[in-house]
Amino acid sequence: MGIEKYEDMNALELDVIKEVGSIGTGNAATALSQVLRKETKMSLPAVYILGYNEAIEMVGSPEEIVAAVLVKMSGEINGIMLFILKMDFINAVLGSVMSKGIKDYMELTEIEKSALEEIGNIIISSYVNALSGLTGVTIKLSIPSIAVNMLGGILSVPMAEFGYVTDKLMMINGKFIVDDKALNSNLLMMPDIQSLNYLMHKLGVE
Amino acid sequence: MGKQIIVGIADMKMARQEGVLITYALGSCIGIALYDPMIKLGTLVHIMLPELGRMADRNLYKYADTGVRETVRKMTAFGAVKNRMKAKIAGGAKMFEMKGGHDLGNIGERNAINVKKILREQGIRLVGEDTGANYARTMSMDVSNGKVTIKTFGRPEITM
Repeated sequence: MGIEKYEDMNALELDVIKEVGSIGTGNAATALSQVLRKETKMSLPAVYILGYNEAIEMVGSPEEIVAAVLVKMSGEINGIMLFILKMDFINAVLGSVMSKGIKDYMELTEIEKSALEEIGNIIISSYVNALSGLTGVTIKLSIPSIAVNMLGGILSVPMAEFGYVTDKLMMINGKFIVDDKALNSNLLMMPDIQSLNYLMHKLGVE
Repeated sequence: MGKQIIVGIADMKMARQEGVLITYALGSCIGIALYDPMIKLGTLVHIMLPELGRMADRNLYKYADTGVRETVRKMTAFGAVKNRMKAKIAGGAKMFEMKGGHDLGNIGERNAINVKKILREQGIRLVGEDTGANYARTMSMDVSNGKVTIKTFGRPEITM
């Protein structure tokens, strides 16, 4: 196996991962623009390899409340897709599909949470479909699950999932720009190390 | 209250007489507050996984078994006595409800079970517990009196 730790990845491998993220996020942005019926662009994706506490700081602060949609990848690629939505993004979505907004996360009703969960699912699926198409790997996706809670607790899920293998999280982070406003969202793809190697192999990087 | 000392993920901090040990947003992780009231020595550990297993990991505080044992060893070295020590634990939540077979292994629940097992094995009394459910908890301990406070999103604060 080529890559044993995320932090061992060389510049070429990081570039390949960035490109994968770019194609995935681009496809997800197209899906999002159809849902919101607004022009949606993406920012250039970034790849972060961070320790636990740094990873939380990169997305926000530990006690900050966010909404997050999680989908597990299995099959030829194993890992976690996590879509983190903050208030402005939630309001853009709710405003567009339900013509209303919220001021506090406590106001989110079950129906609104399901709407966010479904939109997260659409975004994640289009990202993963692009990845599948590009690499020819089969990726199965779990049913989505939403949580509205502290960021630190949410990020502890991927950390614990890979905790026996690594002390780092690799996050391929894409952001969306809706109507020229960068909305607060993070679409994180977190493959496990074995899957990362398989992906590299499929893309011809050895 | 005294100054705040932040305990990170897979981390442990100790304080004596005064100060507040705090760890933020425990999800499936568990915070273990250990306190010897006689000498007012307190520690807070933030573990992430149930057991070290066969891994050669130097980060002892990442695991329930090695984390608790190492903390107890350090406290004992600073004069604490096991049968005076009291433990309070929080965390072990299941942040996402995964439907349809894709289980994330419910690490939170396994963490809670193992922490309690190790505390029993060490002969330390568990006097307070707030674990499980589906939300994150911020846990702090005032070392001047051993009082533990749990903060969550949208729920009243708990003191134990």
